[in-house]
Amino acid sequence: MTVTAPPAPNAAPARLKIRKNINALSAQELTDLRRAIQQSMALKDKRSYEYFAGWHGVTLGWCQHHDALFLPWHRAYLYWLELALQSQVPGVTLPWWDWANAGTIPQPYTVAQADGGENILAKAPINVFNAVHQSGWPTETSRAPGEVPQTPAPPYQQEWANAMKADNYADFSQRIWSVHDTVHVWVGGTMGQLDFAAYDPLFFAHHANIDRAWRIWQAAHPGANPPADILGQSLQTDPAMTVQATLDVTRLGYEYAGTQSTVPGSA
Amino acid sequence: MQRWTSQALALSRTDWKRADLEFEGVEHDGASFVVHVFLNNPGADDATPRTAEQRYAGYLTVFAHGDCWGDVGHCDIPEPVSAFDRRPPHPLIPFNATLEITEALSALPEGTSEVTVTALAFNKNGDESGVLRFKELTLLTYE
Repeated sequence: MTVTAPPAPNAAPARLKIRKNINALSAQELTDLRRAIQQSMALKDKRSYEYFAGWHGVTLGWCQHHDALFLPWHRAYLYWLELALQSQVPGVTLPWWDWANAGTIPQPYTVAQADGGENILAKAPINVFNAVHQSGWPTETSRAPGEVPQTPAPPYQQEWANAMKADNYADFSQRIWSVHDTVHVWVGGTMGQLDFAAYDPLFFAHHANIDRAWRIWQAAHPGANPPADILGQSLQTDPAMTVQATLDVTRLGYEYAGTQSTVPGSA
Repeated sequence: MQRWTSQALALSRTDWKRADLEFEGVEHDGASFVVHVFLNNPGADDATPRTAEQRYAGYLTVFAHGDCWGDVGHCDIPEPVSAFDRRPPHPLIPFNATLEITEALSALPEGTSEVTVTALAFNKNGDESGVLRFKELTLLTYE
């Protein structure tokens, strides 16, 4: 099945889910995020975190890098994973790591303990979905910032600004995937190895920021889409989604915001 | 660290507004790596300051796949089995990496007609060869 995001006729307007900076999450929101991931990891079917992690590298290898499909594929990827997490804990959203301004990995992803146990955001088991563990595969996530010598460290403010200056999709895509690669390589460990990177929950905070960058750039460049000849292409996800269907985050039900404050209306 | 210096690339005009180096056919089947690039500085090494005075042009990183984890042949890039082979491209097909060098190139002395590129490539294993593997390097200038 290929999802083309048709409008829902006669549907009541739904409030967009808000993805927030990881540092802006409340204690309860952090607990909910950890709980959603833990519950998803406990599953052994296609609702499991490990199933989704396997899309990126080991074992399915569906991801797209270093080409025009990089941004659409990862937007679809996060969309499907976020829905799976919301099935575990309603309302949970993927937070973003603002590595353009933060010089380190955010503290919620580094503290060893949380909610009275090991912090799943800091270290996660790697149980490859539907596969016999092979010699050489890691059994848990690790990080090693700076393990590749001479890799520039965050913050990547200049790289972000350079991407935002792009006046066409091809340049923006190339510049943002370049800093994307740098973040992966700097974090190192599991995140530095494409085939296992998505087993680390930090992966999704990193990619939420990439997706946010695209969203911001799109807002400043209306109509600056990927090449027309790939808009109808199906992205390899489960279920599949067209490139066209990824272009508008509001049609996917979410938005990025620095803050959110809601009060009751009048009766 | 792997050090590689290119043959001279011709720079025949001066009326350009943007310049790119394009590394064509970059392999990404090994360990992730970072590449620092200098212009007309073949002696550059890991102790060379990355400054305009040293003709530092910038860096690129490559988030790579790591070791092959599949069965024999898993990481070999196959040829299409027929004209009707609609399977997605193999994940290890080499890609083209672009490094914009407008500032560094414009800082070279007036009248510079040839440019060599020195690339210092680092991975976590400290390899001295085989880190940066690619097919061709092109200098492009845009009016």
